[in-house]
Amino acid sequence: MTTTDPIIEMRGITKRFGGVTALNDVDLRAYPGEVLAIVGDNGAGKSTLIKVLTGVYQPTSGTIHYEGKPLAMASHADAIENGIDAVYQNLAIADHLTPAENLFLGSELTRRIAGITFLDNRAMKEQATAVLKDRLGVQLKSMDVATESLSGGQRQAVAIARAVRHEDLKVLVMDEPTAALGPQETARTLKLIQTLKAQGLAVILISHALDDVFDVSDRIHVMRRGECAGVVRTAETTSEEVLGLLTGATKMAKEAML
Amino acid sequence: MTDATAPTPRPGLAARIEPYIGILGPMVMIALIALFMGVVEPARYFRVSNINQILLDAALYMPMAMAMTFVITQRGIDLSIGSVAALSAIIMAFLIKQYDFSAPVAFVICLVLGAGMGLINGLVITRFRVPDLIGTLAMDLVYRGFALVLAKGLVLARFPDLITEIGRGQSLIFLPTPVVIGLLTLVAGYVALRATHFGRYTIAIGSNPEATEMTGISVDRHRVYAYVLMGTMAALAGVMLTGKLNAVQATSAPYFNLHVIAAVVVGGTSLFGGRASMIGSLAGVLLLSMMINALVTLRIEFFWQSVASGVVIITSVAIYTWLQKKDRDGSGGIRAIFDNPDNRKLTMLAGLIIAALILLLGLGAATATAPAA
Repeated sequence: MTTTDPIIEMRGITKRFGGVTALNDVDLRAYPGEVLAIVGDNGAGKSTLIKVLTGVYQPTSGTIHYEGKPLAMASHADAIENGIDAVYQNLAIADHLTPAENLFLGSELTRRIAGITFLDNRAMKEQATAVLKDRLGVQLKSMDVATESLSGGQRQAVAIARAVRHEDLKVLVMDEPTAALGPQETARTLKLIQTLKAQGLAVILISHALDDVFDVSDRIHVMRRGECAGVVRTAETTSEEVLGLLTGATKMAKEAML
Repeated sequence: MTDATAPTPRPGLAARIEPYIGILGPMVMIALIALFMGVVEPARYFRVSNINQILLDAALYMPMAMAMTFVITQRGIDLSIGSVAALSAIIMAFLIKQYDFSAPVAFVICLVLGAGMGLINGLVITRFRVPDLIGTLAMDLVYRGFALVLAKGLVLARFPDLITEIGRGQSLIFLPTPVVIGLLTLVAGYVALRATHFGRYTIAIGSNPEATEMTGISVDRHRVYAYVLMGTMAALAGVMLTGKLNAVQATSAPYFNLHVIAAVVVGGTSLFGGRASMIGSLAGVLLLSMMINALVTLRIEFFWQSVASGVVIITSVAIYTWLQKKDRDGSGGIRAIFDNPDNRKLTMLAGLIIAALILLLGLGAATATAPAA
């Protein structure tokens, strides 16, 4: 993995909210075609970290490098423009719209008839079907139903498809993607993550479920009290070691972090 | 998903007809009214002149029902439409009668005024963060007040042909002109809902405002658009009403708001947002007009209309809510209701209120003296 350059690199990120230091001097690297898991207790700084990464928060100090070049993001829209997107736990889906309508929400395809701009519903449906099938290997029974009638995993596929619809997406952050899913749907979602990884995306997975993390990730980034407690290769570690880092029982030298 | 192996249970009847319930519901009720009137009073109800009357009555509400469909789908409400209609129509009437404006110019000014009032409503709601219910209710008072200030007790009557044509003419095709106008606005609304950014974002906002905001859509701006459309359509209805009666006064159009909201909600557009049915709104408007006309045909006292409208609203909303409830478990039965301690307490409360009423009425009757006169 380390043979290539990181697609995104956070260096010395510190984020303070008033007197509270949410993140203190955190480094993070993600490589194309890998799954980086971020684990940590509640309040360890995972959410703040990904919000900085996806442009929602601006760091108090520290820099983000994208493809080796410094990148300043003023908003989440900036992040999306630069190929960084996130799928949140609550999925941010409009339940009454169809999957295609959700995929293109905010960036609809249009055609002009007699000088008036109309939505091109057919083209959006075709492209949405293609994105779901070709990129995610997902085929919904019907593209014409409201998204609320789909299963949890299918809804998640729609949310992921919305992110990967952008051709230049390089980094996908997934916040607790399996938290609300049953075992079958979880397995499918993990398979989806592998599919995205195989397509060369850097997938950053935030999860509480260590089983899932060990299943699917290449490296594990452990957060503790707003600091990076350790970064380990999944293949070379055990859940005991990760738990040790999580709870602070084990310490890791900064130089040893991968 | 492709590897889906879990058999999906066959959806029940309610789930399968749910997408069409907005159209089916009012259609069934329309059929019931038609059937009932066909048995009771076929000769007078199904006369061509009466059908024409039903359509004329319905036409007045069609533009507003179209706009209200957008407003309600965005989880909004507009209670000010009656006053917007009255105020803009009165200003138009003054322009024509007192300042000799030509009818087409005054008509367009009236629509723009309606749009302006809608804009004020939208800004009050989105900028000042006044909840839509209170905001439009208060603006209703403001607009009605201005109408009264302007017109005092005056009835302005006798308008140019253009205005009466819009209100009750029939020179376009075999249908009355207002019906043509009403249907055209509904068709435009249908297309806008299905195939424009405004329509798509309307549903998205009603479905999940936070998610819509996150995708970079300006939620507040699109909410304002809906209120502007609503104001414009209310002003159009004001002109149609003025033309229909060939007269207007400050107290015109008192119950537009509830009538229109009722029609839209009966038509299957969800008060909880996200679910819109333009065809349902048309059906709802027709249903209410047929019902009111039926009451008139049956020579039932005018004041019962209010009772009937209220009952129809409550019934249809209750039925839709019941149909949309996902966790219906079917373990019904009267006994199950009374096994719930909350329901037992409510029953006791109802019993107490009834007992108190009986007691007080008895007391009143016992101590009553003969009327003075």
